[in-house]
Amino acid sequence: MTALAIDDITAEIGKIPVLRGVSLKVEPGETVALLGRNGVGKTSTLRAILGLLKRTGGSARYNGTNLDDVPAHRLAALGIGYVPQGRGMFPLLTVKENLTLGLSGAPDPTLMADIFRRFPRLEERLSQAAGTLSGGEQQMLALARCLVMKPSLIMLDEPTEGIMPKLVSQIRHEIAEIAKRGISVLLVEQNLRTALRLASRVYLMERGTIVHEATPAALRADPSTVHRYLGVSL
Amino acid sequence: MSALVLALAVNGLVWGLIIALIALGLSIIFGLLDIINVAHGDFFMLGTVVALVLTLATGSYWLAIALVPIIGFAVGLLLERIIIRPTIRQASLTIVTTFGLSMMLQEGVRATYGPQPRRMAAPIEGTIPLFGIDYDVYRIFAAGFAALCLVAFFVFLTRTKLGTWIRAVRHDPETATALGVPVARICAITFGLGTAMALLGGAIAAPITTVEFRTGVDILPFCFMAVIIGGLGNLQGTVAAAVLLAVLEGLVTSVTDPTIARIASLGLMSIALLLRPHGLFSGATR
Repeated sequence: MTALAIDDITAEIGKIPVLRGVSLKVEPGETVALLGRNGVGKTSTLRAILGLLKRTGGSARYNGTNLDDVPAHRLAALGIGYVPQGRGMFPLLTVKENLTLGLSGAPDPTLMADIFRRFPRLEERLSQAAGTLSGGEQQMLALARCLVMKPSLIMLDEPTEGIMPKLVSQIRHEIAEIAKRGISVLLVEQNLRTALRLASRVYLMERGTIVHEATPAALRADPSTVHRYLGVSL
Repeated sequence: MSALVLALAVNGLVWGLIIALIALGLSIIFGLLDIINVAHGDFFMLGTVVALVLTLATGSYWLAIALVPIIGFAVGLLLERIIIRPTIRQASLTIVTTFGLSMMLQEGVRATYGPQPRRMAAPIEGTIPLFGIDYDVYRIFAAGFAALCLVAFFVFLTRTKLGTWIRAVRHDPETATALGVPVARICAITFGLGTAMALLGGAIAAPITTVEFRTGVDILPFCFMAVIIGGLGNLQGTVAAAVLLAVLEGLVTSVTDPTIARIASLGLMSIALLLRPHGLFSGATR
C-alpha cells in the first residue's frame, strides 16, 4: 500500500490559490524530494497534507486512511512526523521538553538510548533551553523529536537551510539513516545536491502544481529541465 | 505616621498579590489566545458575588472559596466555546465581543443579585499587632493564599505536561499541532484557567472589599497596567508589576489620596513604556 497518496489537492491563503491541484505519492520506505523555486507552494503542500493549511479540494490518504476526517493534531499519532522550515523549536522550553512534547506517556527507553547514541549533544543538554543550541543542534533535536514518536513517514522542510556547511553532510547522513530504517521521507529542498543524493524520486513544482517527475539520474541527464524549473545549473 | 505608611504599604502588598493572580489570568489569556479580554475585571466581580452568595447559602466561606475557581473554570470553558473561539486570532474583534460580555455580566449581576453594595464578614476574625497597629488576620491570610496560588500556577506551568503544552502553544501553535498537541483544547483550558484565576481572586478579596456589580471596572485598568508594565506575555513580569504598582499606590495614598495614587501608577506606566517599551522585566524568561 502507498504510504502517502495525495491527489489533486488545492488550497488558498487569503483567497489567493497557492496549490492548484497537487498530486504526489510516497511509497513505503521511499525518499521523495519536492523541489522548486521559492514561493511555488512546496511548504504549502506539506502544510496542506498536515491539515495546517485547509485543503479546499482533492484528497489525501495515508496508509489507506482518508485524512479528510482526521484532525491535524491526530496525524502525529498516526505516524506522520514533521520537521518544519526553520526547525520549529520552542526556544524557551528545555531540550527535554521539546523532545518529549508530543508524547503523552514516558518515552520508550530503548528508543531514547538509540537517539542519544546518535545525538550525544542532546543528552548533555537535556535541561538547557532549546534556544541556546546551535542551528545544527536544533536541527538534530527537531529530527530526534520526530523519531521519538515512532513515525512511518517524516516530512522535512528544508532541513539544511541556514545550517553551517560543515554540518550539512551530517544532517544528510542522518536523513539517510532515517530512510534506512524503513521510514518514508518526503523532503522539501532548495539544495539540489542534497535532494538528488537522498531521493529515489523527485517532483518539480511550479506555481502551485507538480510539473515534472523524474529519478535523480534522469534529472542529472536533463540539465535544461533543471534550469527551467529551478533556475540553477547542475 | 510611619506606622500608617507601613500599614498602607502592607495593604498594597496584600492587594498586589491578589491582583497579581487576576492579572496573571489576563496575561495567560492574552499571551496564548491574543485576546484583549475587557470582561476580565467582571470575572473578578463575579468571583466576589459568587463567594458571598455561596457563603450565605452554605454557611461556609471555605466551601465557597473551594467552589468558586471550579465554577470559574466551567464558566470560562463555556464562554470560550460560544464567544471566544468564533473570533480567535482577531484581537480587535475580541475587544468588542468581550466588551459586550462585560456589560452582560455587570447587568446580569445587577438584575439578579441587586444593585446595592454589600460587605462580607471576614471568615477569620481578629487582628494581630503589626508595626504598632492592629492588622486584620484575614488580610495576612489572603496575601499568603494568593501567593500560594501564584506559586502553584507556576509549578503547574513548568512541571506538568499540560503546562508545557500551554507554553508550547503560546510560542508556535502550528508546530505544536503537528507534534500532536490538541491546540483547540489547550486554548479552551487556558481561557478556563484564566477565568478561574480572576474569580478566585474575587473570592479571596470578597471579605476585604465591597461586593457589587461594578467592582470589575476598577480592577480591569490595574490588571492591564500590570500586564503592560510587566511586559506583554511575560508572566513573572506581570506578577512583579502588580505587586510593585499596588505597593506604590499604597505608599502614595498614605501621603495624599487614592486618585493621586492612581495617577502615580499611570505615570509609572508611561515612564516604563517610554524607557522600556517591552516592559520593565523584558529580560526575564517567558
